[in-house]
Amino acid sequence: MEHEQVEKEVARLSVRIYIPIALGAAVLFLLAASLTGDYPLVARIGGTVWVGLLGLIVSMPVVISRVKKQFQSVLLEK
Amino acid sequence: MTETKISLSLPISGMTCASCVSHVEDALKELPGVSNVVVNLATNKASLAYDPVRVKLTDMQRTVENAGYAISISEVTLDVVGMTCASCVAHVEDALKELPGVTSAVVNLGLNTARVAYIPGVISVSAMKRAVREVGYDAQERSEGADALDRERQAREEEIKRQGRNLLIAGIIGMIVMVGTFYDMFGSLQAFIPKFLSYKWVIGLLTTPIVLGPGRQFFINSWRGLKHGVTDMNLLYATGIGAAYGIAVINTLFPNAGFGGEGATFFESAALLTTFIILGRWLEALTRGRTSESIRKLMKLQPKVARVMRNGQEEEIPADEVEIGDLILVRPGESIPVDGIVTEGYSAVDESMLTGESLPVEKKTGDNIIGGTINKTGAFKFTASRVGKDTALAQIIKLVEDAQASKAPIQKLADWVAGNFILGVHLLAVVVFIFWFFFGYQMFFDPNSSFILSPYKLGEIGVFGFSLLLSVTVLVVSCPCAVGLATPSAMMAGTGKAAEFGVLFKGAEALENASHLQTIVFDKTGTLTKGEPSVTDVIALANQEADVLRLAAIAEKNSEHPLGEAIVRGAQDRNLKVVDPTSFNSIPGHGIEARVENRDVLMGNRKLMRERSVDFASLMSKAEKLEMEGKTVMFLAIDGQPAGLIAVADTLKEHTAEAIQRLHKMGVETVMITGDNLRTAEAIARQVGIDRVLAEVLPQDKAEEVKKLQAQGRKVAMVGDGVNDAPALAQAEVGMAIGSGTDVAKETGDIILIKDDIRDVVTALEVAHATMRKVKQNLFWAFVYNTLGIPLAAGLFYPFASLVISPELAGLMMAVSSISVTLNTLLLKGFKPSLWSGRGQNLSTTVQLKTAQASTGND
Repeated sequence: MEHEQVEKEVARLSVRIYIPIALGAAVLFLLAASLTGDYPLVARIGGTVWVGLLGLIVSMPVVISRVKKQFQSVLLEK
Repeated sequence: MTETKISLSLPISGMTCASCVSHVEDALKELPGVSNVVVNLATNKASLAYDPVRVKLTDMQRTVENAGYAISISEVTLDVVGMTCASCVAHVEDALKELPGVTSAVVNLGLNTARVAYIPGVISVSAMKRAVREVGYDAQERSEGADALDRERQAREEEIKRQGRNLLIAGIIGMIVMVGTFYDMFGSLQAFIPKFLSYKWVIGLLTTPIVLGPGRQFFINSWRGLKHGVTDMNLLYATGIGAAYGIAVINTLFPNAGFGGEGATFFESAALLTTFIILGRWLEALTRGRTSESIRKLMKLQPKVARVMRNGQEEEIPADEVEIGDLILVRPGESIPVDGIVTEGYSAVDESMLTGESLPVEKKTGDNIIGGTINKTGAFKFTASRVGKDTALAQIIKLVEDAQASKAPIQKLADWVAGNFILGVHLLAVVVFIFWFFFGYQMFFDPNSSFILSPYKLGEIGVFGFSLLLSVTVLVVSCPCAVGLATPSAMMAGTGKAAEFGVLFKGAEALENASHLQTIVFDKTGTLTKGEPSVTDVIALANQEADVLRLAAIAEKNSEHPLGEAIVRGAQDRNLKVVDPTSFNSIPGHGIEARVENRDVLMGNRKLMRERSVDFASLMSKAEKLEMEGKTVMFLAIDGQPAGLIAVADTLKEHTAEAIQRLHKMGVETVMITGDNLRTAEAIARQVGIDRVLAEVLPQDKAEEVKKLQAQGRKVAMVGDGVNDAPALAQAEVGMAIGSGTDVAKETGDIILIKDDIRDVVTALEVAHATMRKVKQNLFWAFVYNTLGIPLAAGLFYPFASLVISPELAGLMMAVSSISVTLNTLLLKGFKPSLWSGRGQNLSTTVQLKTAQASTGND
């Protein structure tokens, strides 16, 4: 498989993992903020967006490099 | 199938911090057929080995681009002569495109030019010209074509200009934003400031061009990296600036949205943060190039033209087109274009630029000359013996470049920390946000609290605004760019500085190891001593001393033994006439016998005299005294009667004692290793003050002796001539090859001392100590900013002091940390070795540029 194709495939697979992770973190934050205190709606939404954004930034490189390694080892086995 | 690996050094652009280094390294390592990837932030180069069958340069280029960086491409225009039709165009284009390192070639038949894009360092312009000539055309580089060095300088100057322009825009507007933000605090000066500048929407309008103009680079670069799953410090800036600006816009447009309202419009944070980060980038671009000044100086030495004699005519050609065997004419004041051997004429040549030796070296027929040095007085002709990448200068440049591209063990740790830091910092930013959102704000928030070094109160800021503020500040203050720069910038400056004094480190590891040395083992012959025995004493029993020496020299004239040669030389030096003997017979292991002037001369050791029953009892006490001094005594008998003694010894190099003394002051133990007997060895050691003697060691056992010292827990360096000492040089933590002259790259050893001067061992150690001191200072400063800055930014002291760092102050701290590291490194520019002053005052210190093959090393 061409290098560029591999990159595309890795990107496609990775999105399926890091987006749910980031969304999960954001939802968890929203739930916690809604259940634990009397926070204004804007603070809850703002916090959710911020946690989601940071979750995305943290999970993206980790997931992409893991997926890439797994993908390459599978290719090598083949 | 066997792999053929090619080593190359790719110039990478766009790297700004240590995490960029690991991104580029990781990206390249993932390519099949690529190994030994080392990326250096200070040189902006990636060194690697690759298998051309499995991976192409274009794959590497694409990979680096996908990671968010680029391989610097240079362009050159060649004037192509001889093209007549479209097929010629195809031929030339194909010939150029087939060259590894050429990324594109466009030939213009109308203009007779070929515009070639190539990766500098992988392919040279002369190789392109050769390729064009091989397909039947001629090619010359256009004079306006900039070489790699000029390109690099140009790129740096462009970066300085670009960031300078950004700084000017951000700085001026940022000042106005500041004035507007703190309008209420100007008191009576308010009369001179337009009131509208304090309106939030005006401040917002002024901040917008800063964020979207000069600040745009951080968003573009971080998005480019993020797209491919990499995070670098641009992301820290982008999230910091973006969050501050975004919240400020929301609070200005929708003050009741609950983000803190008008009291939390951090436009000045966004504006000043951008300004300070750009200030850091600009200062870094200004100072970073200066750490590589030494290599630039060496590169500048490479002459551009050569005056070659062809068909009896002088012809001026580019220096890179000189071929081995060309006869070259050099006039006074001109640079010598390539290495060679003088065939005609006499002159003095300034070699200081390569060897550090201040006195010009005399050159006559048969002497070696080095390309890049300057002819001072007379004109001469020489035959080129080494050209292109084989010249001493090219080898030295390559060695220094390789050293600068390599990584010291201490740097690997710093890179790992910095590489994983950004991810860690984003995680920390989440933790800080969650803590202050759910717990900290309710427990500790005080509306009267303010920013450090600012009268600005936090006032009505809400839970989200406050938590976000601390989270953003953590991101901004944590930038590890100073950590990434700390080691490579000092290593570059140190290895470059050492090269100025004729000391070449083969890698950063050698430099780091040299700073930890406890014991230095010196090979005796050729290292501590001149390696050439000479007559030191002549004792005559009945005859004149001169007669004894003359007869001995005549007898030894046909001898090939080093001691015999020393006696012949000794007689010639004293202007004694050494004629041929009537007969000569060598007695292996004992001496010689000869018929000289109708007399029977017997010369050799004690055993020979005993066997021939010659009684030397009257001279024996003198012989023993000489032997106690480490000299080899030869007994001379004439017509069966004792005639005298001749003592021969290997003489010490002039500055050996001075260097050993200095090493002792530095706390280094000195050891001498030799094949000589213990008495001779100890006599020499006493003269120079060597601590320990390892005598009667066979050449093959030297490495074993080094190993024994290492087993005692000592960090050991071995200093030798690099030929018969090769195993010991390799065994030691640091191998120093001395007096390697022009064969620098071929020598074994981690450090090459170009001159035959033992004081350069001290220079090597002092440079290593000074450089490592700088590395440690740099790492200290880099980590101090982060370790102090992060808890402060995270609000650790807020419950007690009610003070927080503003994002712009965090940005300023980050910029200061990078600049302080680079400026601290630049202090190395003033470094001078302790034994350097006064050098060149004595002609005997004249550089001995001898090849490794010519070195004696007979012990």
